[in-house]
Amino acid sequence: MTTTKTETPKLTGTENIKIPYYPGCTLKTTAKNFENSAVAAARALGIELLEIPRWNCCGTVFSLTDDDLIHHVASVRNFIRVQEMNDYGLVKNENRLVTLCAMCFNTLKSTNLRVKNNAEDLKKINDLMYREENYGGKVEVLHFLELLKSLGFEKIRDRVKKPLKGLKIAPYYGCMILRPQEIGIDDPEDPTIQRDLLLSLGADSVDTPYKRVCCGSYQTVKEKNIVAELAYDILSHARKEGAEAMATVCPLCAFNLDHRQKEVKASHSDFEEIPVFYVTQLMAIAFALENECYGFDQNYVDPRPLLASKSLIK
Amino acid sequence: MAELKYIEGYPENMRQEIEKVAKTREKRISYTPPAMTMKERDEVLKIHPDYAPGGKREIRVGPNKGNLAPNEVVDLLEAYPLIEHGDVNLSKIDYDADILIIGGGLAGTTASLWANDCGVPAERILLTNKLRHGDANSIMAEGGTQAADRGVDSVVKHYIDTIGGGHFANKPDVARTLVEDAPLIMKWLCELGAIFDREENGDLAEKLAGGLSVKRMHSCRDYTGLEEFRVLRDEFRTRQIHCLEHYPAIELLTEGSRVTGAVLWNLETGDYKIVRAKAIIIATGGYGRLHIRGFPTTNHYGATFDGVVLAYRAGAKLRDIDAVQYHPTGAAYPIQIVGYLLTEKLRGSGAQPVNADGEAFVYPLEPRDVEAASIIRECYVRNKGIITPTGLRGVWLDTPLIEIKNGKGYIEKAFPGMIRMYKRYDIDIRKDPVLVFPTLHYQNGGIETDRDGRTNVEGLWVAGEVSGGVHGKNRLMGNSTLDCLVFGRKAGMSTADYVKSQKGERKIALDHLKNYVQKLQQAGVKETRRAPIILPDYRGKAALARMIDVF
Amino acid sequence: MQENRSPIMDRIAEANKAATTGIDAKDIKDWITIYIMGKAYTVPADLTILTAMEYAGYKFVRGVGCRQGFCGACATVFRKKGDYKLQTGMACQTRAEDGMYLVQIPFSPAEKAEYDITKEPYEASVFIKYYPEVTRCVSCNTCTKACPQDLEVMDYIQAAIRGAFDSLSEVSFDCIQCGLCAIRCPAEIVQYNVAQLGRRMYGRYGQGVPEHLRKRVKEIAEGKFKQDMEKIIKCSTEELRKIYTEREKEPE
Repeated sequence: MTTTKTETPKLTGTENIKIPYYPGCTLKTTAKNFENSAVAAARALGIELLEIPRWNCCGTVFSLTDDDLIHHVASVRNFIRVQEMNDYGLVKNENRLVTLCAMCFNTLKSTNLRVKNNAEDLKKINDLMYREENYGGKVEVLHFLELLKSLGFEKIRDRVKKPLKGLKIAPYYGCMILRPQEIGIDDPEDPTIQRDLLLSLGADSVDTPYKRVCCGSYQTVKEKNIVAELAYDILSHARKEGAEAMATVCPLCAFNLDHRQKEVKASHSDFEEIPVFYVTQLMAIAFALENECYGFDQNYVDPRPLLASKSLIK
Repeated sequence: MAELKYIEGYPENMRQEIEKVAKTREKRISYTPPAMTMKERDEVLKIHPDYAPGGKREIRVGPNKGNLAPNEVVDLLEAYPLIEHGDVNLSKIDYDADILIIGGGLAGTTASLWANDCGVPAERILLTNKLRHGDANSIMAEGGTQAADRGVDSVVKHYIDTIGGGHFANKPDVARTLVEDAPLIMKWLCELGAIFDREENGDLAEKLAGGLSVKRMHSCRDYTGLEEFRVLRDEFRTRQIHCLEHYPAIELLTEGSRVTGAVLWNLETGDYKIVRAKAIIIATGGYGRLHIRGFPTTNHYGATFDGVVLAYRAGAKLRDIDAVQYHPTGAAYPIQIVGYLLTEKLRGSGAQPVNADGEAFVYPLEPRDVEAASIIRECYVRNKGIITPTGLRGVWLDTPLIEIKNGKGYIEKAFPGMIRMYKRYDIDIRKDPVLVFPTLHYQNGGIETDRDGRTNVEGLWVAGEVSGGVHGKNRLMGNSTLDCLVFGRKAGMSTADYVKSQKGERKIALDHLKNYVQKLQQAGVKETRRAPIILPDYRGKAALARMIDVF
Repeated sequence: MQENRSPIMDRIAEANKAATTGIDAKDIKDWITIYIMGKAYTVPADLTILTAMEYAGYKFVRGVGCRQGFCGACATVFRKKGDYKLQTGMACQTRAEDGMYLVQIPFSPAEKAEYDITKEPYEASVFIKYYPEVTRCVSCNTCTKACPQDLEVMDYIQAAIRGAFDSLSEVSFDCIQCGLCAIRCPAEIVQYNVAQLGRRMYGRYGQGVPEHLRKRVKEIAEGKFKQDMEKIIKCSTEELRKIYTEREKEPE
């Protein structure tokens, strides 16, 4: 057998800052376009998102049962991998763990908060995982948007080679990066972080009150129509406000807003399709990165005609 | 009871011996003893267990009357059946199949898949196993499968290597089929999803082995047979082919001179099942558990010669049954793993046999019989073996050489099974050599077949180790899994063809058994031995001595 | 009768008798006590669990197969006196130790999905389709702890969830399908069957049939070697012996 290749694209630059990166399962399957564009955009900004070795599923939806500690084991195990990256010298004194997927972010950060604030829980989990080194509670879970903000949107603006001039985008946040408040990365009532990013890329940001409304989440598995109705509201309002496309950082929101447009069309004859971007895809375009990282084939509504009409792609 | 200390790794006196090996290692990196001439080979083979006196006698009954065979084999051919006419009720048929396959290793499983591919419905095929489906020597094949698929290689070269290794006793057309179908079989396995070792560019990685002139050995780490088999079993289960486990066949059923069924026996409850079939494929493997000449064996628990015993009674001719293969390198230390296989791939990757003086004394890739005889000579004639705490003798196999030749990390990648086996006894084969001595490995001959796996008995096919002819007097490494796959396929295809042409009622009877028993009596064979033996018995002598048979 | 005996063979047989026949108590120096399903037995110290049980008088028809660590038939769980940990091992590969309480698990009931790998997409979705329970993995790692082959079982289940067929194959390759992981899994995943599906997908789609093999199969079908082959199979043994002895050998 051949030996396994690392699952992230090969590193190029050597001076880049290396930060442990947690991809999550969806980014390796149905949201490869999110990962590929984000990793490439980060690299363009001098940041190497270094996939943590032997990572496991975050545990998805964090448990709502108080005494259900076992559901937090998965997340803690990933934090131990970050510690190991420091132990083995893959990164230097770097306790930040960056995620892209909003769901993973929420799950990981919830667990982290819980074990940081509850020594007894942490001890129980550490004891259960006796084969692993103990988790010391030092890891800091960051969403990619937070990382960009800490870098400064000015720096992003400086890197833009092809401003997204005249492109009207409505940022959509969903729940997972906003709620609950102690997890959220922005004002849960009026988030602006994506707007600031879009403006730095040269796009027009279209504000809509629906930007923080739930997309229907996992209802999409069994109750497609509930989700289709929510998507209809969110998307048609954005359209009404003049948006030509949506931007998001959540694979589940992206699926519900993008792929469910098939069901929306079926029940609303007036509905006009609207492309849904990962905000990182827009970064990749604005940075004029290699086409391969865009991954538009995974988008349901093809955004290429819109981009071509603005002369942003050929 | 005094407190017990387990020996971790090698005991002190063996440690000192190992020092001698380490001292000469540097010199041996660039030195390999030359291969023997044919004359030298003949000389050393005199000490091989097959040629040393006292191991064989003539068979007195049956189709091979007058031929020589190992005593342990003759004991079973000249044994009385477990059942007699009248012991079983043949009027109720439990399974009425088109094809009955006895033995679910690589050969039997391959046969079932190809019979199914050739149009025999899954529910018309019955595969029965003595133990579980796959408890077979096949899954223990570590080293590999040969197939001439590189540009520099050819099926002709594979043929020459095969018959040279077999002392030119192979059946030419059968050996030809083996080599010509090998690449096709490899392709089939790749398509079914078997994972073989690869080069960086995706080509199959291939190695040398004993008696090969060209690198032709394909492997899956050191779990080749396991990987090939579990892929086939997965496919088998997916297709829902009918399968019985813990149901060995204890006798064939016949109608006149053709076989028409079998009696299966439930190992756990003791009840029997009657199977009627249009065609029967015997794929029961070999006879390692007969411990011929008192050797330990690499074979699995059920390798007890049953298939040959059954077929012989029904009139099947045997071939090359006198030729026993001893694998040159079985484990000789620690006691818990004595006789276990140390794959030839170790030598193919650079490990050398080394004697007590630290000398490389034999070309590492001689054909197996020559290599084995050389090691016996070193231990028992030249007295340059190493003696273990329990009195076994062996020579070193210098495994650390492998990493010197192939780079650090190679052993872990290529021989995870070996590392694991020795690690359990605190021996690190990357740092220290291992002690080896020949071990009973393979039944070279068996029931004679043609190129389709067909025997001289109508309705009876065989495939794999149980068959005779393809390997002559000595099988090469990598030709056994290949044999199972090639002739499993042939037997599957050929029986599928045959059963389509078979119309009309088939009777089942045990008449052939009556005839055979008569012959045994005429030859004056005493009624003390019974066969098939189904499983060997390793119960402690003390426990056996006080056993009361109540139930 | 002198010429019909081989003293060397007799010596070899004598030296090996512990491995080829039942063990005789008079050859044994050190003894231990093990508890087979709770019952105490005094057995020789230098045995595996399998051979110790045989010494004690068990003749196996279940829980035994290859006897050398490949077939996975002799899965065994045990505890040692004074230790809370439930340990696992293959009976044929694990030393019997003093004070061991043990029982074999010779069979593990497990779902095996039916699929045609030629019709499945080479994507993570294949696992969700046939073994949806993989997503119930909470990364507790119990499977890994149970593995007698010391495989990182949890890691390959995680690789399955994200469709990393190459990692799954690499990590799970040495699996002997004994079933101990599946017996211990709180999420009721049948790890070894998941891995079997994943490896076949990787073998077929990730590795595939290499060009040189495809080419050779075609050459044979077209009769490229037919003439040479027909010539060689007609050769006499003497001619063959000459060809064999003089054939060139590829260097190592």
